[in-house]
Amino acid sequence: MLRALLAALLFAWLPAPGFAQDLQSILQEHQAEVAKPSRGTVGPVLEALSASGLPEVPRFLERWQDKNVYTREEDGLFFYVEQTGDTVTLIDLGTGEPAQTAVDPDALNQIKPNGGVRRAIAEALVQFQLSDPDITRRAGAVDAIARGLDPSQIAPLAASIDGEPDAALKLRKQRLLNYLAARFGTTPEARIAAIRALSSDLSVDGRAVLSQVLTTTTEIAQEIPASANVARILTPGTDLPEAEAYAMIAAKAGAPAIIDPTRIRPTLETHVENGKAGGMPAAQLTTPEARLRAYDALAAAGKVPPRATPEIIAETLAGWTIYDAYDEPDATITDAAEVTQAAVQSRVAVSQAADLGLDAISLASIYFLAAIGLAITFGVMGVINMAHGEFIMMGAYTGYVVQLFIPDYTLSLVVALPLAFAVTFGAGVAMERLVIRWLYDRPLETLLATFGVSIALQQLAKNIFGTQARPLTSPGWLDGAWQINDVIAISYIRIAIFVLALLFLGLLLFILKRTRLGLEVRAVTQNPRMAASMGINPDRIKMMTFGLGSGIAGIAGVAIGLYAKVTSEMGADYIVQSFMTVVVGGVGNVWGTLAGAFMIGTLQKGIEFFNPSNTLAAQTYMILFIILFIQFRPKGIVALKGRAAGD
Amino acid sequence: MNRSFFAKNPSILWFIALLGLFTLGVTLLSEATGTGLISTSFVKTLGKTLCLCLVAIAMDVVWGYCGILSLGHFAFFGIGGYAIGMWLMYARTEVIVSASMANQVIPPSATEVSDAIASQIFGVVGASELPTIWSFAHSLPLQLLMVVLIPGLLALVFGWLAFRSRVTGVYLSILTQAMTLALSLYLFQNDSGLRGNNGLSGLQNIPGFESTPQSLVSMAFFWASALALAIGYILFAFVISGKMGSVIRAIRDNETRVRFLGYHVESYKLFVFTLTAIVAGIAGALYYPQAGIINPAEIAPIASIYLAVWVAIGGRGRLYGAVLGTVAVTLASSWFTGGGAPDINLGFYTIKWTDWWLVLLGLSFVAVTLFAPQGIGGLVDKLVRKKA
Repeated sequence: MLRALLAALLFAWLPAPGFAQDLQSILQEHQAEVAKPSRGTVGPVLEALSASGLPEVPRFLERWQDKNVYTREEDGLFFYVEQTGDTVTLIDLGTGEPAQTAVDPDALNQIKPNGGVRRAIAEALVQFQLSDPDITRRAGAVDAIARGLDPSQIAPLAASIDGEPDAALKLRKQRLLNYLAARFGTTPEARIAAIRALSSDLSVDGRAVLSQVLTTTTEIAQEIPASANVARILTPGTDLPEAEAYAMIAAKAGAPAIIDPTRIRPTLETHVENGKAGGMPAAQLTTPEARLRAYDALAAAGKVPPRATPEIIAETLAGWTIYDAYDEPDATITDAAEVTQAAVQSRVAVSQAADLGLDAISLASIYFLAAIGLAITFGVMGVINMAHGEFIMMGAYTGYVVQLFIPDYTLSLVVALPLAFAVTFGAGVAMERLVIRWLYDRPLETLLATFGVSIALQQLAKNIFGTQARPLTSPGWLDGAWQINDVIAISYIRIAIFVLALLFLGLLLFILKRTRLGLEVRAVTQNPRMAASMGINPDRIKMMTFGLGSGIAGIAGVAIGLYAKVTSEMGADYIVQSFMTVVVGGVGNVWGTLAGAFMIGTLQKGIEFFNPSNTLAAQTYMILFIILFIQFRPKGIVALKGRAAGD
Repeated sequence: MNRSFFAKNPSILWFIALLGLFTLGVTLLSEATGTGLISTSFVKTLGKTLCLCLVAIAMDVVWGYCGILSLGHFAFFGIGGYAIGMWLMYARTEVIVSASMANQVIPPSATEVSDAIASQIFGVVGASELPTIWSFAHSLPLQLLMVVLIPGLLALVFGWLAFRSRVTGVYLSILTQAMTLALSLYLFQNDSGLRGNNGLSGLQNIPGFESTPQSLVSMAFFWASALALAIGYILFAFVISGKMGSVIRAIRDNETRVRFLGYHVESYKLFVFTLTAIVAGIAGALYYPQAGIINPAEIAPIASIYLAVWVAIGGRGRLYGAVLGTVAVTLASSWFTGGGAPDINLGFYTIKWTDWWLVLLGLSFVAVTLFAPQGIGGLVDKLVRKKA
C-alpha cells in the first residue's frame, strides 16, 4: 500500500484514486514496465492496477500472466489477441470487443513476463480471485495461499471471508486465516489464541503450522544468553554424537579439529620420507595407536594440523553448552504451541490407532475370505488342498475375463461374483471326484497330489494369460476412500470386501446351522462313520463341501483381484496365510477361522506399525509367532472337543 | 558296521558299486582327465544332482521311513549352502582386497582389511560393516562346523517344539512350510546380513585354488559329492536297519501304538529329523560351490515341496527310490526346459515344452500319487520280485 502511494506521488499528474480512468490509460502510464516487465519494476504497476478497482483488472492480469497481451508497435497500446486461421484480431482491453481485424502479426509484440514476474502477477491476482464469482477460482486462490503462507495474504483473505457464500469454503478460509494469524499475528495474545484454536486440527497443514512456529536452531554458548528462548539443552553423547558437538564448538572457538580416523593413513602416506613417517618406519604403522603416535609427531613438527585428543575434546565439551533455541523469541508463544502440539499429537496417535484397527479388520476380512473355504474342506475331509490358492487365482481371472466381455464395471462385478463361484465350484467338484476321493486314507499324499494340481494350474494360467499382471477394475463408486478425519481413512474397496466377508460369514453360518446340507456336513465333520450309518451319504457331502469351499475361494479371488493385480502367482501369495489362519483358528469351525483371520490380520498390521519400512520382517515375525502359538494351543483357538476331535 | 550289516542289505553294495562305476566313467570322459566327452558344466550338473540325491535320501528317511512329511528340508540344504558360501565369499574377497592393498606405503591394519572386505561384500545392500553372523566367516573349520551346527540346532529346536506338543500329520507339514517361508522371507531382507535377494555369489571360485582350472575344481567337487552320497547312503541304511529302523517304521505306521508299547516316540522323531537336517545341510554345502550362487529364492517353500515330489516319484520307503526319483525328475526337467524336447505341433497350437513342462510335471505327479503310490522304485521292486 505504501508503495502504491509512493508510486502515485511519483506520477504527480495522476488523477486522484476513484477518478474515472480506464485500464488502457493506467497501463499507458507504465508502458515500459508493462511491455518489458521485470521482477524489480513490476511492483508499482501491480499496486496501481489493484488500487484502481476496475472490474477488468483480474482478466487482464490472467492474460498478462498467460502471455496473451500484445503491444501494437505503432502506438504502444495494449491488446488481447484472437487468432482464427491466419486472421489476427485485436481485442480491446476494456470492452472485450474486437478493435481491429486482419492485423499484420509483425506489427505486434507479444509481452512475455518471466517466471518471477508471473509469480508476482499471480500473487496480485489472489486478492481478486478470492472474491471471484466462480467457486473453483476462489478455491484455487485458497489453495495457492495454503501452499506458501505469507503475511501479506492476511488482509485480502480476511476481507474476502464475510462475502463468501459457500459455507465449506468459508470454513477453509477461516482455518487458513487462523494459520496465518498463528504464524504472523501482530500481537502475542492474538497469536496464542490462534495457536490454541489449532488443538483440534489434525490436518497436515495445521500440524505444519505448529511445527513452523516451533522451529529451532542448534546453538552453542559458554553462557546461554538471557534473550534466547531455549527449547532444550543437548547433552553430547546422548542427544547428539560427541564428535558432532565438538565440531560445532571447534568451528566457533578455533579448537583443533577431530581428524577422521580414515584420514590419518592417507595423511601419513603423503608425509613418508625415506620410508619413515613421523619418525617411525612406514611398514610398522599397522595399528591405529602407532599411526596416532606418528601423526602426533608430525603435528609437533608442524607438518600437519594438530588433532583433537580425547582429553581436549572432553575439556572443550565441558566448557560449552549446546542447546536448541526456538527461532521464535517469545516464550509464551512457543509454550502455547508446545502444549497445543502435544494435544494434537495425542489426538493423532489415537486416530492412528483407530486407522490401524480399520486396516487390521480389512486385512482380516481378506484372510477370512481366503481361508474359510480351506477351513471347511479341512474340517470335513481332513485334507489340505494345496490348490486352494489357485482356485483364488481362477476366480480372479474369471472376473478379468468377464470384464473383457462386459465393459460396465458394476454389471461385470455382479456377473463375475456368481460366475467365479460357479467356475471354482465346478473345478473343486471335478478335483474331488478325480483326485481327492481316491486318497482319503492317505492325507499326506492328498497334500502332494493337490500340489501337483496347483503347479499345473499355475503354469496353465501363465500359458493362457501371460506373465504380466492383469487388471480387475473396480466400479467407479468403489473408488476413493472414506475420510473419517484427517488421519483415519479407509478405501471403499476395503469396506466392500469387509461387507462381502460379513455376508459370507452370515451365509455360511446359515447353511451350516439352518439347512439340511449343513446338518449333514456337521455330522460328517464330527464322525463320518456314524453319519454314514445314519443314512447320510458322506461321499456326496464331501463333494458338496469341497465344491462350496472352492467356490468361496473363487469369490475371494474376485475380491482380492479388485485391490491387487491378477497374476498367476497371486494364489501362492495367500496360501500360506490361509493355512496359518486355519491352523491358528482351529479346524472345521467358522468362528475359529474368523478368530484366526482376525488374529493374523491384527498381528501383521501391528508388527508393520512398529517396523513400517519392512513388511518382509513383519511376515517373518508373524510366522515365528504362529509357530510358537501352536505350542500352546496345538488344535487352534477354537478346538473341537471330545471324540469329535479325533486324532 | 560288521559284515552281516552288508550281507543283510545287499542293495547297499549294489548302489555303491554303481555309484563308483558312474563316478569313474564320468572322470574318464571329462575334460579334466580324459577325452572331454563330458563338458565341465555337465560335470557340475552331475555333481549337483548327486548332492540333490543326498538331500533326497535324507528326505526319504524322514518322510518315507518315519512318516514326517517335512516341507522344510530344502531350507536346511540352503542354510548349509549359505554357511559355506559365507566362507567362500569372505576368503575370496580377502584375497582380492589384500592384493589391491599390498602395494601401499603404509601396510593396512587388520581392521582396515576387514572393513574393506565388508564394504566390498555388502556394498550392494548399502552396508559397510560385517554383521555379527559373519564373525566366523574368516575361518574354514569354524564355518564348516556351522554347516553342521546351524541346520542341526534349528531342526533340534523346531522339532523339539513341534513333536513335544504332538503336532503331527498335515499340521506338521504346514508348520515346517511356515518355517521355510519365514526363513526365506527373512533372508530376502537387505538387513538380514546375508545380502538380501542378491544372495552370495562367486562361490565357484575356491580361495587358494585360483590358478586351478575349473575342470579340475568341478571334478574334485564331483568326487566329494559322490563320496558324500555314498557315506550318506550307508549311514541312512544303517539307521533304518536293525531295531531302531523297525521302531522308526512303526512310528510311521502307527505312532500311538508305538507310544503305548513304551517307546519314547518324540526322541526317535527328533533324532531322525535332526540327523536328516544335518545331512541336508552338508549336501547344500557341497551343492552351492558347484552352482556358484545362492539366494533366498532357492529356499522358498516350493523347493522343499519339489524335494517331496522327487522322493514320491522315485518311490518312498526305499533309499535308491529317492535317488532314482531325483535323477529322473531333474534330468527330465533340464531336458524339457533346456529346449531338448521337440515342440509338438498340433496344427492349431504348438506345444512348447518350456511352457508346458510344469503342467506335465504337475499332472504326472497327480498320476503317480494316484496310480503308482510306490513310485518308480515300486516298479523296480515288482520286476525284481518277478525274476526271483
